[in-house]
Amino acid sequence: MSRRGLSGFREWLKYRLPKYPEIGVLVGFFVVFISFSVVARHFLTSESLGAILTIGAELGIVAVGVGFLMICGEFDLSVGSVLGLSSMIFAILANTGVNLVLALVISLALAGLMGLMNGIIVVKAGIPSFIVTLGTMMLWRGVVLAISGGFPVVFAPSSPVKYALSGRFAGDFRTSTLWFVAITLILTIVINRTPYGNRVFATGGNKEVAKALGVNVNRTKLMNFTLSGILAGFAGCIQFSRFGSVDALRGTGVELEAIAAAVIGGTLLTGGYGSVIGTLFGALLIGMVRSGLVMAGAPAYWYRAFIGVILIIAVIINTKVRGLVIK
Amino acid sequence: MKRVKKELPVEMVNISKNFGRVQALKNVSCMVDYGEVLGLLGDNGAGKSTLIKILVGLYPQDKGEIYFEGKRVQFSSPQEARAMGIETVYQDLALVELMSISRNFFLGREPTKKVGPFEFLDKRGMDEVCAKALSEIGITIRSPDESVSLLSGGERQSISIGRAIHFGVKLLILDEPTAALSIKEARKVLDYVREAKKRGLSVIFITHNINHVYPVADRFTILDHGIKVGDFDKKDVTPEDVVNIISKGEAT
Repeated sequence: MSRRGLSGFREWLKYRLPKYPEIGVLVGFFVVFISFSVVARHFLTSESLGAILTIGAELGIVAVGVGFLMICGEFDLSVGSVLGLSSMIFAILANTGVNLVLALVISLALAGLMGLMNGIIVVKAGIPSFIVTLGTMMLWRGVVLAISGGFPVVFAPSSPVKYALSGRFAGDFRTSTLWFVAITLILTIVINRTPYGNRVFATGGNKEVAKALGVNVNRTKLMNFTLSGILAGFAGCIQFSRFGSVDALRGTGVELEAIAAAVIGGTLLTGGYGSVIGTLFGALLIGMVRSGLVMAGAPAYWYRAFIGVILIIAVIINTKVRGLVIK
Repeated sequence: MKRVKKELPVEMVNISKNFGRVQALKNVSCMVDYGEVLGLLGDNGAGKSTLIKILVGLYPQDKGEIYFEGKRVQFSSPQEARAMGIETVYQDLALVELMSISRNFFLGREPTKKVGPFEFLDKRGMDEVCAKALSEIGITIRSPDESVSLLSGGERQSISIGRAIHFGVKLLILDEPTAALSIKEARKVLDYVREAKKRGLSVIFITHNINHVYPVADRFTILDHGIKVGDFDKKDVTPEDVVNIISKGEAT
C-alpha cells in the first residue's frame, strides 16, 4: 500500500510535475514572503504590499513579454532602452499638447516597431537575438540621451490617462497592478489554449521540427518580438505616469531583471518551455525582495546580491526538476 | 526512361543533380504505386536522401520531371509537398521533445473551439482524438498529455507514422526510421508501416540496411553513387541478392 503510494508520487514527479514550470517559483515566493513577514516588522502592511505590487507590476509587464519571447527561443536585451525611449516619446508628446490617448498609442506603436525591427534583423540576417538586441539596446539608449540632452522631461498635470495607467486605488494600490494581472492572464490563455501558443512552444522547442510540420516560425518570432517591444513601452508609460517625469537612464538594467524574473519563474533559457504565470511570480518575488530587504533593515545595496543568489538557486532547482524528464 | 502510362501517386523521371562538381544524381527515375511500399536502398552517399529532398522541395533538381498523381509538379518547400499529402518522417526531426504527444500530433493543424470571436485549442478533443487515432493503429501510449521527451525512439517514430496515417497522407516518406532502434522497436515500426499500407498509403522507406525493409517492402529501388542500379520486385530477389547488388553497385 505504502509502496504504491510512493510509486504514485514518483509517477507524479515524472509525468505531472514538468507540466507546471511555475511550481518552483510558487514555493520560493511563499517561503520568501513568510520569511519577510516574520523578520521585517512593517512588511505585512497595505503600504508595503502596495509598493511591492507597484514595483512588481512595472517589472512584470516587461518580464511577461520577454518571457513569452524566450519561450519561442529568442532574447530581448533592448527592452530597458525601448522602455526609456517610448516613455520619453510619451512625455515629449504630452508636453507639446497632444491628446494623451493619442500620445500613448503613438508611443506603443513605436515601441512595437522597435521590437519588430529586432525580429526582422534576427530572422532575415540569421544573427543570434542576443547580439542583435544588445546592439539595439545601445542604439535606443543613445537616442534617448541625444533627444533629452541628458535632462529629465517632466509632465506634471494630472490626467485620466495617467490615472488609468498608474493611479492609486484602495489606498496604497495602483491600477498598474490590474494591468499586469490582466496582461498575464491574457498571455497565459494565449500560450496554453490557442493554436498560436502551441506554435510558440514548438518554435522554441525545436525550430526545424516546427518548420517541417508547416509552422511559420519566422512569423511567430516577429510577433513575439513586437509584443516584447509593446509591453516594454507600456511599462515605460506606466512608470512615467507614476513619476510624472522621465530621465535619460530610465529602464537601465530592466532587461536583465526581466530575464531573471522569467527564468526564476521556470522559463528555459534555451526556449520551448516556460510559464507566464511563473514569470508573474518571478517579477513579484524580485519586487518583494527589493522592498522587503530595506524593511528588514538590510542596506539597500544588498538587493542585487540577493536577487543574484535567488536566481542561481531557482535555476538549479528548475534544472533538477526538468532533469527528471529530459535526459 | 519513358514515363509509365498509368497514373501513379509519384513518379520522378530522369532526375539529375549536381552539387558543384559532384554529381549527386544522374538520370535517376523512381516511382511508387498506390498502396505500395518501396524500399529505397543504397550505401551511404548513394543519393537516396538527395532524391527525396528534391521530391519534397528542399532542393530543386538540375534536370528531370516530377509527377504527382499524374500531374507535373515542382514543390518549392516541404510545406507545399505536405499540403498535397506528402509527409516525410525524418529520423530525428519527428517531434518536439518538450511538448506533449497530443500537442505534437496536431502541431500546425490544431483543432479549435470558437468562443465568441476567439478561437481556442480544443485540448480535450485533441487528447481524445490523438489517443483514439493512435490506439486504432495499435500504438499504445500512457497518456496523450505525456511529454515526448519521456518516449523511446521507436515510440516517437511510431507516433509520427500514426500522425501521418491519421491525417490521410497519400505518400509517407520514412528516412532511416529504424536505424537507431532496437530490434524489438524496429519490428513495431514495421508493423505500423504495414498498417499504413493496409490503409492505402504509398510508402517510400529509405534505408541502407535491407533487413530493415525486406519484410514490409513490395519492391526495391537501388541507387549507387548517384546512378540507379535497378528496380527489383521482392519476388525476384532475396535479401542476400540485394546486399550483393548494393555492395557491387551492379545487378548480376
